[in-house]
Parts: sequence; C-alpha cells; structure tokens
Amino acid sequence: MNPNSIIPTLLATAWLLPLASFVFIVFFGPRMGRHGQRAATVATAAIIAACLLSFTALGLWLFQHPLGHAAHGDHAAAVAPLAGDWYALGSFGALTISVGYYIDALTIAMFCMVTLVASCIHVYSNGYMHGELHDVIDALAPLSNGEPMRRHGRFCRFFQCLSLFCFSMLGLVIAGNVAMVFVFWELVGICSYLLIGFWRERKSASNAANKAFITNRVGDFGMIIGLMALWASLGTFSFSEIFSQVRPAATEHRLQVPDGMIKLAKQGEVAEIVKRHSGDLDAAQKEIAAQLPDWRAQGYGYGLLMLAGLGIFCGCIGKSAQFPLHVWLPDAMEGPTPVSALIHAATMVAAGVYLVGRFYPVFTPEVLLVIATVGAITLFMAATIALTATDIKRVLAYSTVSQLGFMMLALGIGGWIAGLFHLFTHAFFKSLLFLCSGSVIHACGTNEMPQMGGLKRRMPITALTMLIGCLAIAGAGIPTVVGLSGFHSKDYIVAQDLSFWSHNPGFGGIFFFVALIGAAMTAFYMFRLWYMTFAGNPRDGYVHHHAHESPPSMTVPLLILSLMAIVAAWNIPFTSIGLDGLLHQAQPLGTAQTVTGQLVNVTMPAEHLAHAHENSLKAEWMAFAVALTGFILSTLFYGARKWNPDEVRRAFSPIYKFLLHKWWFDELYRKVFVQPALRVSDWVAAIDKKGLDVIADGLARLVEWTSRIDDWIDRVFVDDIINRLARWTYSLGISLRVLQTGNIRQYVIWITVGTVALFVLMSMYWDYAIAGI
Amino acid sequence: MPLFDSSNSQMLTWLLSLIIFLPSFGALVLCLAYRASDQSVRRFALLTTVAVLALTIWLAWPGTTPGHFTLGKPGMQNMVSHSWIPGFNIYYLLGVDGISMPLVLLTSFLSVLAMWASWPIVKHVRAYCILFLLLETGMLGVFLSLDFFLFYVFWEVMLLPMYFLIGVWGGPRREYAAIKFFLFTLVGSVLMLVAILMLYFSSDLRILSPSQLQASHVIVDQSDAARLISAGTQQHTFNILALSEMGQMSDSPFAKTMIWGQKLSLWAFLLLFIGFVIKLPSVPVHTWLPDAHVEAPTPISMILAGVLLKMGGYGVIRICYPICPDAGYSLAWLVCGLGTVSMVYGAFAALAQKDFKRLVAYSSVSHMGYVLLGIGAWSATAGLQYNSDYWSVGMNGAMFQMIAHGISSAGMFFLVGVIYDRVHHRNLDQFGGLFARMPTYGGISMVIFFAALGLPGLCGFIGEFFVVLGAWSYSKALAIIAASVVILTAGYILWTIQRVYLGPEYKGPHPEALVPMTRREIGIAAPLVAFAILFGVYPSVLFDYMKPSVQNTVNQMTTWTSDVKDAPAVTQEAK
Repeated sequence: MNPNSIIPTLLATAWLLPLASFVFIVFFGPRMGRHGQRAATVATAAIIAACLLSFTALGLWLFQHPLGHAAHGDHAAAVAPLAGDWYALGSFGALTISVGYYIDALTIAMFCMVTLVASCIHVYSNGYMHGELHDVIDALAPLSNGEPMRRHGRFCRFFQCLSLFCFSMLGLVIAGNVAMVFVFWELVGICSYLLIGFWRERKSASNAANKAFITNRVGDFGMIIGLMALWASLGTFSFSEIFSQVRPAATEHRLQVPDGMIKLAKQGEVAEIVKRHSGDLDAAQKEIAAQLPDWRAQGYGYGLLMLAGLGIFCGCIGKSAQFPLHVWLPDAMEGPTPVSALIHAATMVAAGVYLVGRFYPVFTPEVLLVIATVGAITLFMAATIALTATDIKRVLAYSTVSQLGFMMLALGIGGWIAGLFHLFTHAFFKSLLFLCSGSVIHACGTNEMPQMGGLKRRMPITALTMLIGCLAIAGAGIPTVVGLSGFHSKDYIVAQDLSFWSHNPGFGGIFFFVALIGAAMTAFYMFRLWYMTFAGNPRDGYVHHHAHESPPSMTVPLLILSLMAIVAAWNIPFTSIGLDGLLHQAQPLGTAQTVTGQLVNVTMPAEHLAHAHENSLKAEWMAFAVALTGFILSTLFYGARKWNPDEVRRAFSPIYKFLLHKWWFDELYRKVFVQPALRVSDWVAAIDKKGLDVIADGLARLVEWTSRIDDWIDRVFVDDIINRLARWTYSLGISLRVLQTGNIRQYVIWITVGTVALFVLMSMYWDYAIAGI
Repeated sequence: MPLFDSSNSQMLTWLLSLIIFLPSFGALVLCLAYRASDQSVRRFALLTTVAVLALTIWLAWPGTTPGHFTLGKPGMQNMVSHSWIPGFNIYYLLGVDGISMPLVLLTSFLSVLAMWASWPIVKHVRAYCILFLLLETGMLGVFLSLDFFLFYVFWEVMLLPMYFLIGVWGGPRREYAAIKFFLFTLVGSVLMLVAILMLYFSSDLRILSPSQLQASHVIVDQSDAARLISAGTQQHTFNILALSEMGQMSDSPFAKTMIWGQKLSLWAFLLLFIGFVIKLPSVPVHTWLPDAHVEAPTPISMILAGVLLKMGGYGVIRICYPICPDAGYSLAWLVCGLGTVSMVYGAFAALAQKDFKRLVAYSSVSHMGYVLLGIGAWSATAGLQYNSDYWSVGMNGAMFQMIAHGISSAGMFFLVGVIYDRVHHRNLDQFGGLFARMPTYGGISMVIFFAALGLPGLCGFIGEFFVVLGAWSYSKALAIIAASVVILTAGYILWTIQRVYLGPEYKGPHPEALVPMTRREIGIAAPLVAFAILFGVYPSVLFDYMKPSVQNTVNQMTTWTSDVKDAPAVTQEAK
C-alpha cells in the first residue's frame, strides 16, 4: 500500500477509536460492570490503541521523509503535506465545505503528543476517579436543608466524556480546512463544558462551565468573522488552497494579498467594469485581471487579509485563554484534576497556539505583532496572579495561561518553531504538574496550599515527580550542556526575543524583558508551590496525617510523564531524530524568512537568525540567570524561610490585593458585559410586553371600540329612524282607524271621491310614456 | 398497488391528493365514530398520520419514475393539474420540488410525533383528533399547491383548526392567545389576498412562450398554446410558476407603476412579505408567538414551531422572490435587516424569560431570523461578477435552518411538555437537579438543546453557519451582527440547562411526580435526536434534495439581475 494513503488511514483510525468508545459507553456504559467500571477499560484501550497508531504513523512518516539537517534559511524543498477530503458537508457551485485531512509533521507530532498524554491521563483517572464507583456524598453541593447531597457514582460518564474529548481534539488536529477546525473547536469546547461541570450538582462547577463556554464563544465570534472574510474572498476553507493563494509559488511563497481579497476590496470598481462590459463577463474579467497588480500595489485587500488573520486569532485568544479572555481558565479548575491536566493544560488550551502555528502563512507582520502583544500581556499578567494564588490548581492554571502567553509571544515575533516547541514540552510537564497536584489533592482532600506542607515524606513519588515538573517548567539546565525539556524550549523563545530586539531596536526590548521577567516569576511561583506543599513542617496535622501516596495506577503515569518532561526536547540518542528536527521540517513554506510590515514598521526576523551562536549563547545564559534568580528568591522565602513573605505582602498591600483579586477582571466583566446584557434583555422583554403587545392589544381594542361606536350608531340613528318610521306608520294606522266606521254608505262615498280624484289626476298627468306605449 | 395501475397522471393525482386529504378523510371517519373510545380514537388518528408519512416517504423516495422524487432535478416534478374553477382559470395544481419536498416530509413526520405526543390530552379527544387531522391537511396543502388560489385556501384551512386547538385545549389564557394568533395571521392573509388579486388581474398568459407555458403546466401540449396566445382578451392566471415566469421577464407586467410611483411588484412583494413574516415570525410582528406557544398544548406547540413557522419562510422563497425579483432586489436590506434584528432581539428576549416555554418560543424568533437573512442576502450582483454561489450558500443554509429548527424546536417544546406534564409548572427558577432525577430525559435534552445552540455535529450548526457565511458577501455589518448572536444563544441555552437540569435538587412543587421518561416519550424524542445528529453529521441527506431547486431559484434571480436589472440603458430605450 502507498504510504500516502496508509498514514491518513492510520491517523483517521486513531481519531475515530475514541468516538467508537464514546458511542459504546453512551449506550452500554452503566451496564459494564459495577457502576460501569469497565467503561474505563474500553476508553483507556481505545486511546492507547490510538497512541500506538499515531506512533506507527510517525515512524512511517520519518521513514518516508527523513529529517534533514535543518538547513538554515528557507528550505524550498519542504515536505509536501498530505491533504484530501473525506466527504462534503455542503457543496455549492465552486464552493465546498468538506471534512478532510491535512497531514504534515506537525499534525503527526500533535497526534503523538495528544494520544500519549491522554493515555497517561486515562490510566491515572482509573485511580483518581475511583470515588465515583460508589455512591458519593458531595459536601460542596448542599441541599436546601443544609445536608450534603448524596448521589450515585458517575464513573462511566467521566470516561464517556474523556473519549468524546479525545475524538474532538484529534479531529481538530487532523482537520483539512479551517471550517472543520471550527467544528472540532466547538466540540472540544463542549467537552470542556461537560467536564468542567462534571460535578454538576455544585453551583460553582456549573457556573465555571458556563463561563468557559460563553467566554470561548466570544472568541469564536471573532473567529467566525475571520472565517467569513476568508470564505467571501478566497472561496475556500482548505488549508492547502488558502496557503497556495496567500503564498503562491510564483512569489517564492512570500505573503501576497490574494486576488479574491483585492476584488472584494474594490467591489465598486469591479461592478462598474462588469456593467460597462454588459453581458460579456469574460472581457470584464480580463480587464479586472489587468487592473489587479495596480490595485495590489495600492494596498487594496491588505486590510481584509489582516481582518482574516485577526479573526482567526480571536478564536485562539478564547481557546488558549489569552488576555482579555483568559478569565475562564482558572475557574475551569472546578473540573476533576485529570480533566484540568488533559484539557486545560496539555491539549485543548494549546489548540489556540496550534491553530496560530497552522495558520501562520496567512498572518501579516501586523497581525503577528498583535499576537505577540497579546501573548506578552498575558504572560506577564498571569504570572503576577500566580504569585499570590494559594489554591494549588489555580497556581497551575495561571501558570498555564502564562506559558501559553509565552508561546503566543514566540509565534508573534517570528519564532514559529520556538512557540510550537514550547507547546510540546509544556504539554508534558504541565500535565505532569497537574496530575501531581491531583495526587496531592487526592491525598489531602483540599486544594489549599496553606493547609499542606511537609508532604514529601508521605508521598515521595509525587514529590519527586512534581519537582521534576517544576524544574522543567522553570527551565532548569546547564547552559551549553544539557537541560530539561523546558530549558530548551524557553531558550528558543528568549533567543528569538533577543533576535527580534536587535531587528527592532526600541520597542523590541519590551518583549524581551517581559519574557525574562515572566521566566523569573515562573521559577518563583513554581518553587513556591513545591515548597509550600512538600517541604517544611505540616501546617495542618489532620491533613498531613491522612495523606498517603497514591496507588500505582496514578504514580506510573506520573513517572512516564516526568520522563517525558525531561527528555521531550532531546534527540533520540545517536540520531538526529527529535522534536526540533520534526518542527523544522513542518515549518510552513515561506514563513522562515525575515519580513517587514506594510502598515507598521516592524520586522519579524527569520528564525534561524536566532540560532546564530552568539545570540543563542547569550539567550541561554540570560534564561538560566533569571530562572536561577526566581528559584533562589523562592527558596529564601518559602524553602529556607529566611525572609517572611507576610512582610512583603504587608509592605505592598495594594499590589497584593490587586493580584489576589486577579486584576479585578471578573468584576470588570460582570459590570461591563454581563450586567448590561441582562439589562438589555430585560428591556427587550419589556418592549415586547409593554410596547408591541400594547400596540397589538390596542389595535384590537380600537377595533372593538369602533364596533361599539358602530353598534351605538346602529341603535341610536339607524334603528331610531326605522323605529320612528314604524311608529309613524302605526300612529297613522291608529289615526286612520277612526275612519273605519262600518257604515257602508260612508265607504261608498269615499270610493266615489277616490275614483273621481284618480281620474282628475290621470287626466292632468297622462302620457303615453307612462303606459309604456 | 392496483390503485396506481392506470396512467401516470392519474396515479399522481391519487398519490398527491391522498397525501393531502387522507387526514381529512380520517377526520371524517372520526366524525361518524361517535361511540369509539378515546384511546381508539387516538390510535386511529395516529394511524392516519403514519399512513400519510408512509405516502410522503413514498413520494420522496429517490427514483426517476413518476411518484418518486428525482434527485438533482431543479424544477417541479410529480405535477398534477386539473381544472377546478374554469371561469377564473383556477386549477387544482399540485407538485413538489426540492424546496417543498423536505418541508412536506417534515410536516408528516412531525404530525406523527405530535399526534403520539397527544396521548395525555383527555378533553374532547375526538374533537381534538378531528381538528388535528384537518390541520395536517391544511399544512400539506400549503406546501404542495402551486395554484395561488388553492394555496390561499389551504392557508386559511390551516388557520381555523389551529385557532380551536389553542382556544379549547390551551392553558389559562388560551382565549386571548388563540384570538391573537388568529387575528395576526388573518391580517397577514388578507394582505396576501390583496396581493394575489393584484397579481392575478395584471397577469397575462399570452406574453409567455409556449415552452414557458408548458413548463408551468398551464397547458398540456403546443396546440393549446396557440389557442391561448391568440386569445383576444387578457388571460389571467393564479399559476405560481407562470406568475414567476412573468415576474422575471424584462417587460414584466408587474413592473407597471402604481401608487406613489412605485411598481406593482413592489407593493405585491410588500403585502405578501408582511403576510409571510407574520407567520415566520419576525420582529416586530412576532408577539403572537410567545403567547400562542405558552398557551398551546405541547403537541400543538410542536406543530406550531416545527411546521407553521416554516410556511413563512417557504412563502418568501417560493412566492415573493420568484414573482417579484425587482422588489426583492431593492428591498433586500429590509429582508436581511428584519432577519438580523429578529435574531438579536429574540435572543435577548429569550435571555430575560422566566417561563420555560416562553424562552423556547423566543429562541424560535431568533432562529427563524437566520432564515430571512439567508434568503434575502442578494449578493449575486455586478460587484461579485454575478457569482451566485455565495447567495446559494445562504439560501441553502436558510432552507436547512428551517428543517433543523423544525427538529430542534419541536424537540424542545416536547421536552418542556414532558416536564410540564409531571410537575405542572414552567417556572425556570423552580427547577434544578432534573438530570439526577430523570437521567434519560437529561441526556436527550442535552442533545436537543445543544442542537438549538448550534453545536457542530448537530443539525442547528449547519444552517446557522451557512447562512452567516452567505450573508457576508451581501453585507459585512449584518453578517457580523448575525455572528455575534452565537454568544447570546450560548448564554440563554446554557443558563437554561443550568437552571433546569443541573444543581443538587429539584426546587419546585410535586417533586414526587418526577418519574423517568416513559417508553412513549422516549419513542417520540428518539427520532428527533437521531435526526438532529444525522443532519448535523451528514447534511448532504438534505442538501441532495434541496440544493438543485434552491440553486435554480438563485440562478433565476442572478440571471434576472444581470439580464434585466443591470441591462444597459441603451437596450431598454430601444424597447
């Protein structure tokens, strides 16, 4: 069989297996063992099989397209992606929206990452969710009489949703066009909704689920605008067709405004030309085609291209919890911890970054600058909030937001490989961190770090693996020698920052310093978390006493993921096969060159420039230095307890409050968006009740009154006339009655008089016309 | 079947007439069966609707022989024509195409479900069933008739049973709701009647070519054409197809100037359009809908939302645009604007509701707005080089949205009914925890409500997405406003789910009545769920039917735009 058809088949099977598992559990879940215990087996088997298939596909791919020694500069002979359609959702004339695939090294790498992390998390959930195997007493969902609520366990439903999520996530990755991405984009959103609200009895959980979905929909609204702009101007959603229109081979894959966008921007002129050539559309099209270069040179259509890019990025802002739509992710921690690890750390929230990476060829430098700015704001803001949070999962959530900001920043300043590299390494160490926190929560029964402490003796494996996670995210390593996965990916980002600064002297430095400060804060809050949880003396005797190491079903995934957290960035020993090379191969055509904006004076340096020896060495040492600073500060405050954090807190009380309240975003949005929306809805309802209905009812009443008046006129005037006539006739009759005397002679006289009178009258007025002759 | 053995035309007459009148026949039988028990009356009525469904499936079955549906054929098929009132050229003219076929199927399908959902009705069962069946005749007649007069008769036939079904079997304010429904629709149909007469008296069959006459089924063979064309006096017609042909001619008889310097076609369009948008309904003539829904019994709400609203959209696409393209072109802003306003307005209003059923009713207003937007987005203009594809996407999306809304809204009303039958209230603040009490119900509700929310993979998404995509090429501003509705929709649907299904406990009266769904109830909901998923995953099932005809309509309009509207002034002067 041809590898070009084997790989899509393998990936499609990997994609559909979780769907099969989902459907199976929907119908048979509760009947599979006690409380649906064996549903977990089905779901886990499905995802592990998907994982194996994905790695097989990766092997095949590498066999077919061996990783070249990443040539610096643009590699024109890039590997062509496998693209095709399975079936059409709708096809109208030249326009088609289909379900298809677009497979390159990035797709396959994502498949492997998603299925591997998901497999670990499925196994882990077998242990973590065991509470759902029997009846549950949920103290966080009080009944109206104050008692906690009792309910049946929902073990199988959890795995059902996980399977649906895996299907949706893989669909998003394999999608061959943006519309299909959007379809699965929404589906992962709804899975996230279902899983955040898994403990649906809790008000906080259902609120968080709603918030997550609705906030995401705000981003999706922007994404739809982007989709419409693309659709109306290019007439296609397919990745390969869009890319070939935006970066045609004729321009050596340089970004160019496609013809369709120019025509749309010049619609007025086009209409005039078409009307001038009445009926001869071909001639008109020739004239339009002749005009196109001029229009393009004048910059028409560039705005539309930017709009398309910005719109798509809006979706990514929502899904990847970027400023200003980041508010949903911390609340999403209401879901079970495996969900936070899978969806809200490793995969779904990274989908936004993935899409920016996938759609990279379409972004103009101006759009990239917006992406970088959003990323920078996000990474800084979230890191500051993470400094003060005490809920262990919220610290990790803000850390996730901040790391996603890092990725966006990297992508936005031209670091395609840097951003996506961090996506992969982050997926491993952040899911590890979440699972560790889950293990801790599982043991302690609380999320609050102030109640923990000294757990490392009670749970050694968790403590160790979490330490590895912390080291990885902080970017620990020995410059120029070796480092954990996060060390390499963060290094790439800093190097790109540095390179960007040198190409954009002035404002370019802002991004660089934000990234460095962010990296320092990352190290600080992560070790703060570790020290507060595992080091020192127990702060809550009860919690500490009951804490215990988790069962193997939970610790084994931790060990696997910690291994990945260490080695994910390394090449396979004695080969050049590794993530780095894979991403180099996947880099979209034409995006690896230095470009300058048309509207804004910004230069996006080509990525290979960042890897120049001097630059990367500088970056490595700087990243190392700031991470070390963060680590030392954290140790001084929380590890060695040389300094007291409370004093700092008191000294900077306003700032502390500002951070503790998460920059007041929730309150602001409630005031600015939610409440006005509800007020408008009340107005609208009132317009219906008091406006339109009153008009309709009023009209009805008007008709009623008209008919009453009509009725009154009838009775008073019309009836009256008739009645009067009747009365007159009657009284005439009465008055004539006196003549009826019964006297024959009198009658004879009257008859005679009458006859004579008639004759007289007739003789006076007779005319033949009367007789009709 | 021996019945169909004779000639094709006779078989078709029988088939189409049976589809329309079998329910009436059933009603007649029920009239006579005054001794039958309530249960057997219900069963008989259900059986009748099932028989009609079987006949419509027969008709819709793909195949090239008469009596089946030829997929891919753009024009009318399976036409039946018999002279009815020769003095006024009124015909008993029936036929289907890709636009009406899905709606006919939807009608007969929902009639079965709604009849089955009528089991809990115990008051005057026989009368209820009789009226229900008469209603079905009216609905099917509207979708099948191609003679304007016949169309109008069915339109009115449907009105009266509905009035009584709401007014007798409804809730506490049923009289108000029924009369409101009746008067609103009646105003619309009176305006429609005026328009019909305007069109009739200015129509003239003699200006059509013999082939056009034959295509419109005005005549059977060419010799009739000669007789007709050489007739001494104007030959008026109610034939919708013939009227469409005339409307799209460059020297259309409807182009003559009437009041205020406007063309006759504009006035006719407006009158017809008002009649149809009342039914659709669109803001600002939608206020009959929440009241009618809140008061109507569950099955009637299903029919009302699932079928009756679609007549508005059907009328616009079948009658307004083909007959009066000129007005459709110049009033596209009105059509699309009303659609968009309805979408936003309905969504906001839904957000404010406390009554479950009222909320669903306002969601209908919002969802039907998409239909207007999709139909009206006349983007096939010179600026787009007469590329009709985008408009086709929008109009196909609008048609799809009608069917999808028929599934999801009927489902939602049914689900509200299920819970209302148990606890006898609809106050959204007094639910909660239903998922735990009624797990199957919760699961089914999730699918149906997510379909209404426009979740991809379910039917609601396709229509909304395609409409919005099509709208951009007509007006960016409207498309953006329309796209923003996805946020509001998510808001009110998720908030509803939270208040009704989630939470630790049920907060309202009669908690003891919250028993799981019965087998009958599951049997009604399951097909809706199945179709919601099927249409969402594989929309081509529907597009295969509707696309050729919708595309045909769009192409006609596009040709009209390029050849008549944008025709150079020179040739017009030459004429």
